[in-house]
Amino acid sequence: MRRIRPLLAHELRMLARDTRMLLIAFVLPLVVFPALILVMRAVERGEAERMEETVFTYAVSGEREDWTRALLLAALDEAEAAATDSAGPRMRFEERQVEQPDSLLAAEHLHVVVEGFGAADAPGVRLHYRASSDLSRAAASDLAERLERVRGARRDSALVAAGLPVPPDRVAEVVPRNIAGAEREGGALLGLALTPFVLLLMLTGGSIAAVDTLSGEKERGTLETLLTTGLARADIVRAKVLAIVLLGLVLVAVNTANLLVYLGLGVIELPEHLALSLTALDTLLVLLLLAPLTVLVASALLLLSGRVDGYKEFQIAFFPVLLVFVALSVAGMLPGMELRSAIAFVPVAGIGVAVREVVLSQHDWPFLLITWCATAGAGYGLTRLTERSLSAERLIGGGAVDPAELQGGPALFPRRVLRWFAVIWALFFTVSLWFGEALGIRGQVFVNLVVLFGGGTALMIRVYRLDPVRVLFLRAPPPAAWVAVLIGAPAAYLAGIGLAELIDAYVFPVPESVLESFGNVLLGDSLPMWQLLLFLAVLPGVFEEIAFRGVLLHGLSARLRPVTLCLVVGALFGLFHVALFRIVPTAFLGVLLAATVLLTGSVLPAMLWHALNNAIALVPAHLGWVDADTTAPGWAYVAAVAGLLLAFGILYATRRPPPGLGRPHPSDPRAAAAMS
Amino acid sequence: MKEDRTVEVRGLVKTFWDRGRGRIQAVDGIDFVCEPGQVFGLLGANGAGKTTTLRVLATILEPTEGSATVDGHDVRHDPEGVRRSIGFHSASTALYPRLTARETLRFFARVNGYPEARIEGRVDALLDRFGIRRYADARVDTLSSGMKQKVAIARTVAHDPPVLVFDEPSVGLDVVNALELRRIVRELRDLGKAIIFSTHVMPEAERVCDRIAIMHRGRILSEGTLEEHRARTGLHYLEDIFVAGLEGDEEDDLGDLS
Repeated sequence: MRRIRPLLAHELRMLARDTRMLLIAFVLPLVVFPALILVMRAVERGEAERMEETVFTYAVSGEREDWTRALLLAALDEAEAAATDSAGPRMRFEERQVEQPDSLLAAEHLHVVVEGFGAADAPGVRLHYRASSDLSRAAASDLAERLERVRGARRDSALVAAGLPVPPDRVAEVVPRNIAGAEREGGALLGLALTPFVLLLMLTGGSIAAVDTLSGEKERGTLETLLTTGLARADIVRAKVLAIVLLGLVLVAVNTANLLVYLGLGVIELPEHLALSLTALDTLLVLLLLAPLTVLVASALLLLSGRVDGYKEFQIAFFPVLLVFVALSVAGMLPGMELRSAIAFVPVAGIGVAVREVVLSQHDWPFLLITWCATAGAGYGLTRLTERSLSAERLIGGGAVDPAELQGGPALFPRRVLRWFAVIWALFFTVSLWFGEALGIRGQVFVNLVVLFGGGTALMIRVYRLDPVRVLFLRAPPPAAWVAVLIGAPAAYLAGIGLAELIDAYVFPVPESVLESFGNVLLGDSLPMWQLLLFLAVLPGVFEEIAFRGVLLHGLSARLRPVTLCLVVGALFGLFHVALFRIVPTAFLGVLLAATVLLTGSVLPAMLWHALNNAIALVPAHLGWVDADTTAPGWAYVAAVAGLLLAFGILYATRRPPPGLGRPHPSDPRAAAAMS
Repeated sequence: MKEDRTVEVRGLVKTFWDRGRGRIQAVDGIDFVCEPGQVFGLLGANGAGKTTTLRVLATILEPTEGSATVDGHDVRHDPEGVRRSIGFHSASTALYPRLTARETLRFFARVNGYPEARIEGRVDALLDRFGIRRYADARVDTLSSGMKQKVAIARTVAHDPPVLVFDEPSVGLDVVNALELRRIVRELRDLGKAIIFSTHVMPEAERVCDRIAIMHRGRILSEGTLEEHRARTGLHYLEDIFVAGLEGDEEDDLGDLS
């Protein structure tokens, strides 16, 4: 903190002296906001005056004109209209006696045409109006309201005359009663609006600061000056992020105060009977939750500002960023959205939901922590990215590009593999969400496994000119590996269940309903046994392995050390299993499978392991040997862990790692440079 | 600690990759040393690799191969230490338009780790030495280009670094300001600074530099004092020496081809 203080002070001074920034960030909201309200009120008043000044004209047509006219007179009776508490302006009506009223209405010479219809014992009127004219629409709706009142009164008196024993408005009376209380209602409203409000102000204020502090410095040539001072890159980025956050917070404070002043003066009116009471703890919690959000926004803006050249490009690039953030922040407004779901893992969106729940005094501590970490982690990641983009080669040597990009092919693949999997992930989700039911379980398996994983793998191999045998680890494993798999697969399955139960008991419980519906998805189609094995064991074993333990593992191996590599491959594999509670056990399996490939140098044992794992999960339940309530005895878990250790002991003892893994590809220019 | 005060460049290579031109060997294995109280000139045409070399020294760019140390700090392992020990000045490094001259000097002294208690005294001394006291509290964007030039040099030496790097500082200056610049550089040399000075203007190099390295296509063709250059080539004017060096280089290339 001490190191970045001079730079932070400098950034804030520069911002404070930027007249454009002061104008947009402070003067505009402080002047435009009230001006907008004043204009809106003036328009409202003007509209009311116009309604009162206008004489609305109508014509009567159709059958029984006299009856219609009498009905209208009753409806337009001033005394009766005055008795009701109509909030709108008092409108005056006049009849015009004309030929062809419909064509006059169309030609805008009349506001409404009232047409009588129906049989003599049940006559009615139709109101003809033009929705394209606000006066005609207002006239029709006012008339309709008045006619409705007359109709109600006549029906009631007819009912009384026919001998109804109670007053007609007491028959099956319905009275809604809100027990939420003013404070809870106010809390609900605040909870919905708070995150988008803070986010929007952070984005607008922050973008001005961000563009000035990085794009602006680049454009003015001062960035190079700054980069040649004794400051560390990380400190420069931190000071700039902090400056953006501070400016955003000042903006939030100013606008909140602004809003409160107008509320206090009664210029803006809130819905009636709203109140707010937040405990000190909840207020603190809300601020704590919003803190990583402000940092995330600030670092995203700074990253954007660093990536673009100058103000203009920033403006173009800013809009999509704004949309993404706003779309994420309104997640809290989605009805029924709970923090205890996958949303907790989504930066920004999780905060929106968490803030709503905290304001209503719901504290889901583990998930509050998860969502805080998700957003803070994203903010930290973006800050690091910005630091890296400050590596001046990108900023100054305009032509400096990644050598791998020019060569393409295998050298580029490690840098692109995650993008490919991000696209596959997006497609995978789209298919499951929108076409899941239409495709059925077999169709889904085919599209996801064969088309997305198999096709994606084939495409990557083709585009980057990869060697399939090398990339997919297609070679014979040491024979002992097969034995290890036969021991390891059931042991790992049981250990995975144990792990899931531990999490269920100590971290967060999985709702029963989720478990049941998941079971139904897998078994609901009541496939014959051979199809069950083919679609849910063999195909996943083949295609998920070539995708995750083949191309993904290979692509990341150039950048990660073995242990991290297994963990990352496992975690990504887990993320492909949509349901929250399946992520941990599948990630666990993914880590084991990745380790198996690295130890045997072959993907084949992992394929068998994966297929066996799925078969163990499906077959006993399919045959009715076990049901949802079946639990394994405690000793079984101990045995499972022992079995797993034994399996990996065998794999390690007979290990035959893939040759050349982790070393840069020979065609990688940096490798070539290092060798020469 | 004399060797700590020197700039030492050994086998420095910097390679760029450009989308249009592919691999570019901007600096191709150069060595040189600059001692305190010495102005070391890098003389070369545009694209010779001078700016790239200086940017590596200023840790703006990372070397592809080789090493460079500044005041005992390695550019690769201690970039912040290097930057605190140098003042970097180039025609493209701008001043903050919304700061005053005084604030500029104060800021650069502070972020380069100059002792806080002595900053005000240092700033005052600089304002006097560079003759900018009169407009010390005017915003930089209101100053004339000559005044800006002085503020820019003053900010380069704000933290009193032992090493100074001037990258084509006279580009865009009129005669009077260019003369003033040379005077200041000589003054700084007399204060014992090690100064790296790049230029493509031959008379400037003749007048300012104690040692001159002729750079061409990323390599140093020959290096020495002006007298040594003259003795080696038998030519008097630096311009002729420079051209002769370039021609020799072209012939070498032809020899390589055959």
